[in-house]
Amino acid sequence: MDGQGQIVIEGVNHTYRPARGRAVPALSNVTLQVRPREFLALLGPSGCGKSTLLYLVGGFLPTEAGRILVEGKPVAAPGPDRGIVFQHFALFPWKTVRGNVLYGLERQGLPRAERDRRAQSFINLVGLRGFEESYPSQLSGGMKQRTAIARTLAFDPSILLMDEPFGALDAQTRSLMQTELLSIWQRTPKTVIFVTHDVQEAVYLAERVAVMSSRPGQIKAIVETKFEKRDPSILRAKEFVEKVDHIWNLVRDEAIKAQELSA
Amino acid sequence: MARIEDQATLAAGPGDLAHERAKGLDAAFRFGAGALSILVVLVAWELFARSGRVTMFMLPPFSAVVARIYTDALGGDLWINLGLTLYRAMIGFVIAAVGGITLGALMSRIRIVHWFFDPIISVGFPMPKIAFLPVIMLWLGLYDVSKISIVVFDAIFPVVTATLGGIASVEKELLWSARNMGASERQLIWQIALPAALPQILTGLQVALPISLIVTIIAEMAMGGYGLGGAMMTASRFADSRGVFAGIVEIAIVGYALIKALAVIRGRLLAWHPETVERS
Amino acid sequence: MKALSRYLPLLLLAIAWELAARLNIVSSLALPPLTHVATAWLDLVHDGELIDNGEASLYRGAVGLLLAIVGGGALGMAMARWRTFDVFVNPLVELFYPLPKSALIPVTVIWLGFGDGSKILLIFLGCMIPVTIGAYNGARGSDHVLVWSARSMGASPLRMMWDVVLPSALPELLNGVRTALALSFILLVSSELIVSQKGFGYLIGYLGSTGSYEGMYAVVLTVAFLGFAADRLYQLLMQWLLRWRE
Repeated sequence: MDGQGQIVIEGVNHTYRPARGRAVPALSNVTLQVRPREFLALLGPSGCGKSTLLYLVGGFLPTEAGRILVEGKPVAAPGPDRGIVFQHFALFPWKTVRGNVLYGLERQGLPRAERDRRAQSFINLVGLRGFEESYPSQLSGGMKQRTAIARTLAFDPSILLMDEPFGALDAQTRSLMQTELLSIWQRTPKTVIFVTHDVQEAVYLAERVAVMSSRPGQIKAIVETKFEKRDPSILRAKEFVEKVDHIWNLVRDEAIKAQELSA
Repeated sequence: MARIEDQATLAAGPGDLAHERAKGLDAAFRFGAGALSILVVLVAWELFARSGRVTMFMLPPFSAVVARIYTDALGGDLWINLGLTLYRAMIGFVIAAVGGITLGALMSRIRIVHWFFDPIISVGFPMPKIAFLPVIMLWLGLYDVSKISIVVFDAIFPVVTATLGGIASVEKELLWSARNMGASERQLIWQIALPAALPQILTGLQVALPISLIVTIIAEMAMGGYGLGGAMMTASRFADSRGVFAGIVEIAIVGYALIKALAVIRGRLLAWHPETVERS
Repeated sequence: MKALSRYLPLLLLAIAWELAARLNIVSSLALPPLTHVATAWLDLVHDGELIDNGEASLYRGAVGLLLAIVGGGALGMAMARWRTFDVFVNPLVELFYPLPKSALIPVTVIWLGFGDGSKILLIFLGCMIPVTIGAYNGARGSDHVLVWSARSMGASPLRMMWDVVLPSALPELLNGVRTALALSFILLVSSELIVSQKGFGYLIGYLGSTGSYEGMYAVVLTVAFLGFAADRLYQLLMQWLLRWRE
């Protein structure tokens, strides 16, 4: 289908109004288009509103100003066309790995045999065969995030929203997971919005990187980051290092501003 | 229900959808809504009682109950009953508090005391000790001693358990550094272990206080005589339902006042504690 | 062996009881020897008194507690999820919470008489609040990203309450139920003791008033043991229900 997984964000503002304290402008006039089956990274200093933008696309927060269209329709509520992966996994702790992966499939009303088959195949895909009956509390951080990714991929959303999914992992696990995510994405192409504050991660994973300014967040620049082949060896290639440098320079000013804001 | 409010503050994070919606509900509005809903319940009580759907015996109007409390207050009966109930509940509570903290502290420091009392406490805590009321009546008669004894017997368990748990969770580093600085065993308990365990001990007291009140009322009902519970029982025996409902309202006020007072004391005593700092 | 040494103090207490009574250190009227209490217990079981009254008590306790768990759990979760509902209901809960619940005994008698109904109502009203508060605090603490995850996987708001909010609230909810369980025994026994013609409490009072103190002790110990056993069994159930936790 044409336009499947397309996202249009136009003139979006957002303000947090905590129960106590002053209102905080989080996003200001954000406009951005994500193409079908594109891998886009949202990059910016912490507190720049990049997660807020992701939650707005997810339909978890109400759009107050501007509009967000997913496949041509305005976003009103969360839905299974947009799967989300959170930094802290958000697994249901009372369900096993299999139970977590099955959850979305149950809500889709698939027949039982089909659910079991799909769940098992995605558990295998993320390399968790043998851990189906484990509870999240028995898994390492990397395994928890694999479960969360399998859970989201299993109900086959056309869009994948990832909110710093590898931010809570140690460095080794993190780089393994990055490579794995790329290979999964190449096999099952989806539109991905990947929020991160790690420049190298953004350049390595994404086809385009949208750099956001510090609070209130705006799109400061969009940088093409297409490479011929993507595997860990590219991390040392000259063109890759130059891209990282270029984007790092864009981000640095914002990071300094963000620090001053929070100080 | 202070705990609920604590939780509410803790749960308040940015991006919480429920919280976004709550932004308009400021404290004044909450207070107004609370007063309104209590008023609605009281008016509904009054109207329902007067509607003729129930007899005045089943549900006397709220105004009649208030009038009854007023008469009792003028006649002096209310103050005698109130005083006796408070006296029994408070003496029992204080004995349970002092005894429970002492026993808990001794158990945590002296092995043989722990060996002897640990099974008694762990088996006795979940038992419905109120079943022993007739036994205590048999031993001690129908006087204040037996009422206060059953209160102590029931209220002491949560205090011991809380003290024991509180002292056990005091950080080892804290005890080591105190000993390092030359604290004696006695100073260790009084100056380090008990203050550090205070939050949990106070939680134990907050469990023990309602138990003291519940048991005082039961003992008064079972043994008769003066006291709010005894007065309710007498009223019930003479089919005086206004007296029964007046008793409920009086006891509710006493319970509310005492439990709020203990919560305030907790806040004062734990002024240094993060739980208090966070809330202000 | 380890269990024996741990519970040795209880055994010592029992022996001390027996000796004190046998050697007439205290009046054997006020404290009959434990062995006599045991015989009295067997007699009570044989003539069916203990079973009949026990059945009545357990029925009242179970129904009242079940109603309190369902009602209190639903109320607490509703308060936690619907802000407007909370604003109006919370003050009522806060007002009712510190009421020493035993004060309700005569009122439930006025409404429903001396039978099962008044005991069930008493236990329902008395035990509901701890469950409500447990459910409320638990549901308030439920992680919003779990709620979001479920919603994004296609769960309806009602479905999400059942699938996410209830299990998140479970640890605190179950603690509230434990308090309610203990409270139900207290309210049951005391209301039966004060106003009833059946049940454990009634039997204790009846045996006491007719001077059969050995039987009275037997029933008191039975009730105490049942309360203890119920709590231990409940803890096992809790562990099983919360086995997913670290």
